[in-house]
Amino acid sequence: MEGAAAAAAVVVVAAVAAERAVHGVTGLGGLGVGWRPEIAAWVADRPGLGFTEVIAEGLAPATPSRGVTELRERAAAVVVHGVRLNLGGVEPVEAARVSHLAACAAVLDSPLVSEHVSFVRANGHDAGHLLPLPRTREALDVLAANVARTRSELDAPLALEPIAALFDWPEDEFGEGEFLTRLLDRTGAWLLLDVANVHANARNRGVDPQAVLDSFPLDRVAYVHVAGGSEHDGDRGDAPGTYHDTHTDPVPAPVLELLGSVVDRLGYAPPVMLERDGRYPSGAELTGELAAIATASGLAPDVAR
Amino acid sequence: MLALTAGGPVPDGFDPVRMAVTRRALLRKRAGLAAVRWPVLRASHGERWNAVFAAHHDGRPSRGALADGFDVARALAADGALTSGALAELADHEALWHYDGSGEPRRRSAWSPHRLRHRLLRPRAR
Repeated sequence: MEGAAAAAAVVVVAAVAAERAVHGVTGLGGLGVGWRPEIAAWVADRPGLGFTEVIAEGLAPATPSRGVTELRERAAAVVVHGVRLNLGGVEPVEAARVSHLAACAAVLDSPLVSEHVSFVRANGHDAGHLLPLPRTREALDVLAANVARTRSELDAPLALEPIAALFDWPEDEFGEGEFLTRLLDRTGAWLLLDVANVHANARNRGVDPQAVLDSFPLDRVAYVHVAGGSEHDGDRGDAPGTYHDTHTDPVPAPVLELLGSVVDRLGYAPPVMLERDGRYPSGAELTGELAAIATASGLAPDVAR
Repeated sequence: MLALTAGGPVPDGFDPVRMAVTRRALLRKRAGLAAVRWPVLRASHGERWNAVFAAHHDGRPSRGALADGFDVARALAADGALTSGALAELADHEALWHYDGSGEPRRRSAWSPHRLRHRLLRPRAR
């Protein structure tokens, strides 16, 4: 009796029977993971992965580490993800950083490069973190110019990731979805949709994440990030109930539900990856997280093996 | 930017609570980066590391993870508040790096008197 009940209790989050889709432009498909040296062995042992993503600032393209070389030798694609390019900075993006990004993509034969709708440095001060931009026409001009400078050196297409923003600017002219749509229309870039960021931003503003997704240019999705986070209570000196997109916690259910909602809206399962930056759990737990992502996408869990 | 990293005032129109949350999140991230360069110092403080780090660095811009950790370790050493493990870690870093507290740390040459003396005097396991 128990066995039958367990077999019947399959949670189908995606209402549409999701096909494992391959992106028409990038060729990316399936489940992926953010490669980190700390989990290199676990990643190497996942034959079912469709792709991996590496952080550009952690790479030395001329002398890649053994773990990175092994990634290149796999059949699965490797996406290069930058975190310090400063596309939203008033100063033009630094030529050396753009060249580095291009070199990483060349060495790894990447079908796609991604960066953030954000700034990290201003007036000689480094935030050490991705900070939100004002959603203004002026910011669109800045971003468009820097994206153009970056794309001129890249062979691969570029995807842009909207970030989890802990604050807003008083002079915002657009909502997040409209700003993003205008940005992608102007630049021709793709969307790296981070559903954990959508959750964090909606949660911290008390808005409905479904309304946010309604406004997003989902037709531009190149791939999807999924990550964990946690709420900080008032005792730790923060505003009570602020959700932090830490990347060092398990992926919470609401984020997986948002992923399912995205799959429903698209009618297919886009390339989707797990992003984890620290406090790494056991390999079994990471595999479990991947399986949960597969389930939420409507894919068979064995693609996470 | 100054409000978030260097103790500057919150500009008009920004939610002060949200800015404070962001400022503390940035500090926690800095503490995590410093912990990578100063693992024993970090471990010796356990759950209190973020608070200890913030007490030293809130309102002051970062000079990098190594320098941030140096500042905390030296201040605590002066107060006699370091464990023996953290003291040994500080001694190792002082031998390897020249850091005057205002610029960025510079690696000492292998033949510098500091490094030679440290190698000679460091207690060896028997």
